[in-house]
Amino acid sequence: MNAVDTAIHVAAKSIRLADVTKAYGKVNVIPSLDIEFRSGEFTVILGPSGCGKSTLLQMIAGLERVTNGKILFGGKEVQDLEPKQRGCAMVFQNYALYPHMTVAENMSYSLKVAGMTKPERQARVKIVAGMLGLGDYLDRKPGQLSGGQRQRVAIGRAIIREPGVLLFDEPLSNLDAQLRHDTRIELADLHRRIGATTVFVTHDQVEAMTLADRILILNKGQVEQFDTPKAIYHRPASVFVAKFIGSPPMNILPAQGDGSVLRLSDGQVVGEYGLKGDFQLGIRPENVVVEQGMSGGLAAPVRFREDLGSHSIISVDIAGTPVRIATPFGGVVPDYTRLAVTFPMKALHLFDGQTGKAIPEGFGVASKDGK
Amino acid sequence: MFLGSTMFRHRWLPIFLVAPLAVLVFLFFYAPVFQAFYWSFFLERPFGGGSEYVGWDNFARVLSDPEFWKASGRTVLFMATASSLAVLVPLILAIAADRAVRMSLPARNILVWPKGIAGASIGLVFSFVFNPFVGVLAPLNSLFPGIWNPSFDGFDAYISLIVAHVWGNIPFNFVILLAGLRAIPHTIIQAGAMDGAGPWRRILDVQLPLIMPQLFLTLVLEFTESVTSAFALIDTITKGGPGGATTLLVYKIYLDGFSSYDLSGASTQTAILMVFFILVATLQFVLLGRHINYER
Ligand SMILES: Nc1ncnc2c1ncn2[C@@H]1O[C@H](COP(=O)(O)OP(=O)(O)OP(=O)(O)O)[C@@H](O)[C@H]1O
Ligand SMILES: [Mg+2]
Repeated sequence: MNAVDTAIHVAAKSIRLADVTKAYGKVNVIPSLDIEFRSGEFTVILGPSGCGKSTLLQMIAGLERVTNGKILFGGKEVQDLEPKQRGCAMVFQNYALYPHMTVAENMSYSLKVAGMTKPERQARVKIVAGMLGLGDYLDRKPGQLSGGQRQRVAIGRAIIREPGVLLFDEPLSNLDAQLRHDTRIELADLHRRIGATTVFVTHDQVEAMTLADRILILNKGQVEQFDTPKAIYHRPASVFVAKFIGSPPMNILPAQGDGSVLRLSDGQVVGEYGLKGDFQLGIRPENVVVEQGMSGGLAAPVRFREDLGSHSIISVDIAGTPVRIATPFGGVVPDYTRLAVTFPMKALHLFDGQTGKAIPEGFGVASKDGK
Repeated sequence: MFLGSTMFRHRWLPIFLVAPLAVLVFLFFYAPVFQAFYWSFFLERPFGGGSEYVGWDNFARVLSDPEFWKASGRTVLFMATASSLAVLVPLILAIAADRAVRMSLPARNILVWPKGIAGASIGLVFSFVFNPFVGVLAPLNSLFPGIWNPSFDGFDAYISLIVAHVWGNIPFNFVILLAGLRAIPHTIIQAGAMDGAGPWRRILDVQLPLIMPQLFLTLVLEFTESVTSAFALIDTITKGGPGGATTLLVYKIYLDGFSSYDLSGASTQTAILMVFFILVATLQFVLLGRHINYER
């Protein structure tokens, strides 16, 4: 670390949402949320479009009022405070830079509003611009910057006040793949250095998996799962989460238990299992095992193959359900039109047939690896 | 240009489409203006029948006439007060509308209607509104006799004109300014809030700078419009009185030309007025235009 690294200090605060609800008119966007973001933690909120991610972020920021419930920063109620009294900073998806101000003015506007003198502001701008590699652009207007540079200015504007809480609403979605990757790494590094409690909204599961201490998966304003990336990948709490994470996502097949074996909808036996009832069976594409011969295991007529270089994705039909298989790195799968596959029991996930919730461990099948 | 070459393959089509308006503008604007410039160097007979080249004599005569300078003074005063109010009032309304009132379509339409009313009609309506005996201020007069009487008090008459003008120009300026405010991305305002700026501070530091193009446009249009459109209002409300207190240059030109038949004097004053407008507009572009160029 050099001197620049230590120049931005934050007093991170925990964020707690206590029975928070949000309705726009009659539309109940967030039915009820009770969650805590730990102090200094990097949380990623992941969920489909319209599930209330931005709404949640804006309620934390103070840009939207909660309909009911409380928001606590480090134990202090803030739900009725103005944004400026809460001390959060936010990075917007479209950057939302002030077009008429220079980069330096953009970054230091909050300091100016707070009444800091010009020399102090300039000193701070210099530090932050140094951290973000913006030193050469301080006199430019946002219109004269590239997307990546604008993104950095937006980040600089957010961290210059040393906020205890940093909020990001899909900050990387307007960047191209390479820049996204670079900025992601910079963000992780930045978080490690300044340590603010960070809430980061994204659609991108790679961002979620790589950045997050914990991932909050939202569905229609409700928590599907709130856990570490590893746990979310290896122990998804519901079919929704299982289908949401992983690329390609987990395969889900309807299955029935008759008390001794588990059968697919066409009667093929997957394995021994002691419970009765309707289930949904989950297996990740990389866990499906392709048998060497064409028989033994489950019948899987091939629909098509996608060769991705390092491995291929084979789409097959099993019991009338499309299933994707990821071949192992460098592995070669025979060029048959029909494959025979098996599902290793230890890689199977079992979900309730109706609710889609994961069946807790201890039933024999769902002992997960990788935990 | 770029658009022309991609959108119109046929090179005569754009000219054809613009022609009707161009003809109108030429016939009723440029031709009379050139004529006025031409006449300002001649001594014209009121009913035709020859004219005499007199060089700068007309200008010398007009410029040494104290009435001309008084009318010019009133014109500049009117221009400054009426046009700034005609931008300021709609600006306040637009900011208010943008802030809280998500205005319904009917409301927006009703606010725009006055734009469709001819200046003379506005004048006629306001001459009733401002009538000291039957108008809206009549009760004030019965409380404090003589406090409001535009037909005797030049100041009251002047105010009547300004109010009528501002009223007639609220809709257009309101629409332009509101459109400008609505075009500011909501997240920029939110960013301002996150940076700790309250509503007033955001108006000052973020919203006003970002609607500079619209403010500039309305101001430029207002400066010229306030002077030219004043004619209809003066003619219907005050007739230039009382005692010439509301005789602006446009009205004086009309009186000189069509009542006193001093065609050369009227032409000369028209020429001077035109030059003044051109100077004002140029100055505005040079002074203001420089500060409003940025990319959204
Ligand atoms: N001002 C508003 N008035 C009414 N409904 C709104 C408003 N803002 C958002 N909504 C609704 O609330 C729901 C959640 O919106 P929100 O913007 O939080 O979604 P999101 O998860 O951020 O989606 P995206 O990933 O597309 O950004 C949506 O169904 C949206 O239509
Ligand atoms: Mg969103």
